[in-house]
Amino acid sequence: MNKLRLYFAISSVIFLFVLAISPLKDFFSEWKGYQHEYNGMIKEMPQRIKPAEIGIKQIWVRKLDKVDRCNTCHLGLEEKALAGAKEPFRTHPHIYHNLEEFGCTTCHEGQGPATSYKESIGKVEYWDKPIFPREYMEASCGKCHKEQLVRQAPILSLGRKLIEEYNCVGCHKLEGYQRQWVPSLNGIGSKVNRPWLVNWLKNPKAYFSTTKMPNFQFSDEEVNILADFLMTLTSFPNNATLEPLPSQLVQVSGSRKTAMEELGSTRLREARCISCHPINGKGGYVATDLGKVASKVKQEWLYNYIKNPKHLQPNVEMPRFRFNENELAGVVAYMKSEYVDFDMAEPSAHTPDPQFYEKGLALVKKYNCSGCHELGNMKSYGELGPELSYVGSKKMYEIDFGQSGIDQSLSLYLFTKLKSPHIFSSKMKMPNYELGDEEAQAIVVALLGNTNEPIPEELIIRQKPVSTYAPQGEFGKLVNDLACFGCHTMFGHGRVVGTDLTLEASMAKREWIEHYFKVPYSLRPILTERMPNLFLSDDEIKTLVDYMEKVFIGDSLAIDITMNETTIAKGKLLYNERYACYACHQINGKGGFVGPPLDKVASRLQPGWIFHWLKNPQAYKPQSIEPNNNLTDQEAEALTAYLMTLH
Amino acid sequence: MLSLKMTRDLSIVLLVSLLLLSCSRKNGLSQSSSASPDSINTADSSKAGPAAAASIRLTYEQRQGKHLYTKYCAVCHGEEGKGDGFNSYNLDPKPRNFTDTIYMSAFSDTRLLETIREGGRGVNKSPLMPSWEGRLKRVEIEYVVFYIRRFAKSN
Repeated sequence: MNKLRLYFAISSVIFLFVLAISPLKDFFSEWKGYQHEYNGMIKEMPQRIKPAEIGIKQIWVRKLDKVDRCNTCHLGLEEKALAGAKEPFRTHPHIYHNLEEFGCTTCHEGQGPATSYKESIGKVEYWDKPIFPREYMEASCGKCHKEQLVRQAPILSLGRKLIEEYNCVGCHKLEGYQRQWVPSLNGIGSKVNRPWLVNWLKNPKAYFSTTKMPNFQFSDEEVNILADFLMTLTSFPNNATLEPLPSQLVQVSGSRKTAMEELGSTRLREARCISCHPINGKGGYVATDLGKVASKVKQEWLYNYIKNPKHLQPNVEMPRFRFNENELAGVVAYMKSEYVDFDMAEPSAHTPDPQFYEKGLALVKKYNCSGCHELGNMKSYGELGPELSYVGSKKMYEIDFGQSGIDQSLSLYLFTKLKSPHIFSSKMKMPNYELGDEEAQAIVVALLGNTNEPIPEELIIRQKPVSTYAPQGEFGKLVNDLACFGCHTMFGHGRVVGTDLTLEASMAKREWIEHYFKVPYSLRPILTERMPNLFLSDDEIKTLVDYMEKVFIGDSLAIDITMNETTIAKGKLLYNERYACYACHQINGKGGFVGPPLDKVASRLQPGWIFHWLKNPQAYKPQSIEPNNNLTDQEAEALTAYLMTLH
Repeated sequence: MLSLKMTRDLSIVLLVSLLLLSCSRKNGLSQSSSASPDSINTADSSKAGPAAAASIRLTYEQRQGKHLYTKYCAVCHGEEGKGDGFNSYNLDPKPRNFTDTIYMSAFSDTRLLETIREGGRGVNKSPLMPSWEGRLKRVEIEYVVFYIRRFAKSN
């Protein structure tokens, strides 16, 4: 019996001990330690801060179905005075969402209801949403903010821009992105030289360092088969045909040739091809590099293309310059003599594979060339790659990390995949875009924001519908022919390289616009993308400006300015003394280079425009960096009056 | 009798072992979970390797500030804050050099914020520095201040 008592005694001690574990654990819990530390800390601070009540705190966000206890330890989130305090007491950086309404894990992820550091912030097994690393934080903005440009999230915005530019939707299903224009491959056999094509397929960036075409890392055999296959595509879209070269270009030599090339060189400079095309890396960024183009394309194609770009490449955003026959021949002759790649690697001689056509077709299908390029009647394999609409919600077990040995997290997986696409398996088809770290990171941020979390519709901010403005009639034809949308926006449609033309006629005077078409001088000396000289005829200019005066006008912008000596003097004083406009603008050679020079501004701008612009520049051009000085009406009027004296 | 005692003994032993077992399981679990966060922390710093371009390790405020600074301020004050932006040589007095540690440490955040908000004319300095009150929100100016502070620290 004694033995039994002993057993009983021991077991009751053990039982008591086990019972005590829970209260003890609670008593010595981590969060209580933090709360006491917090109360001790704020007592010693000069500011009066409300001490924390001891106990677990939580935020319940009903509409997002989140329970977050982060504020149990993060006690100073809303105390401004604690901005420099140590973690976990530091103030939350100011953002436009409040804590009660959105909680913490909505943006940060992690395990909300957990009350210890390890469980909430650390990586918990089978918890698929570990806390977001700081560099990927902006991904969370993307869950609700679906518009392309999110003002407070520059990395997210950059990522979305890059996804669109690199045309990821060519292979992946992804909502909300526009397909990019990519050159059609129909007719490529009549366009390029085979040696160039071989080098290009091996490494596109060697020819044009900023091309969007990725490196597919083809083997030499694949390159030869593809090149042979592509060279068979000799017929252009819409059954277009090449005109033969004019006689000036074929039978010319000696001094006449030199004179022709000189004319070409002059016209090339006047037309400002370099605004869009870089030449050996220097110049615009909109179009392809011209530095070695004579080694790339056949002369016949070049001649026909410059003559009418849209004839051979429908929808290309290259204007049809109004060169006459002589000038055109000169431009082609000049390019032919000057833009040659003398170091181009000659591909080794090869005998075409007898089955190159079938094999080439199979390669084109395998790598989905038609996802981006128009190619015969082939359909795009738009879903060749995995769908990316909800990639941010991918579970760890769905991902194959292969033999890479990287730390297993979704963000790092995507980053590594983008940087070296074949690292996880050599069978992957994704090409290498040779992205920089910041670019890759921005794209990962944009991708991680694509989740399938249930978010109430009222919280989601959608992209504004894409403007479909397309002018008709004579003006529409000209806009299409001159590819205005390639640089300018009108009513929300077009690319933002040049100025927005929506209110052009309210802004500039008719005579100035007409003159500008003739001599498109540089308004801002620092710009690299300058308006090309299109060599328009007077009739064409008249058509353009007539339309602008009817459509590109805001009626409320026209106002009368009282021009008398007092206001002018007051305006001059404001310009020179109070607002020091000359910090950015020049008059008579005095002043800065940031804004356009204001010499002769009175013959360029309408007074109403100057007035309204000064009142609120960003209302008309949201990207403008002109400070908004909150001018009073009198001040704006005085400044306008002064500027209108500068003829 | 013996068999009864045996069964009692056995049952007690069983109970105790069960308890111990449950304890040890608990320990086991907590061990495994305590191991992972540490490995994560170390992985975090090693992971920074590929993604550690200088700008990437900025705090939220500095990142926002950098974006705004590059857009609005760098034309005069320079990308690196040395007061050598391309427009600076047109200006007299020259734009402030933010890498000047001695000057900057005497300049409080509040005053820096005020200068950006009201411009040079608001704080008895050169009016060449415009007022950004109308363009930037207060918070945005705070972000810029956070970013500007980095220039002096990095020296």
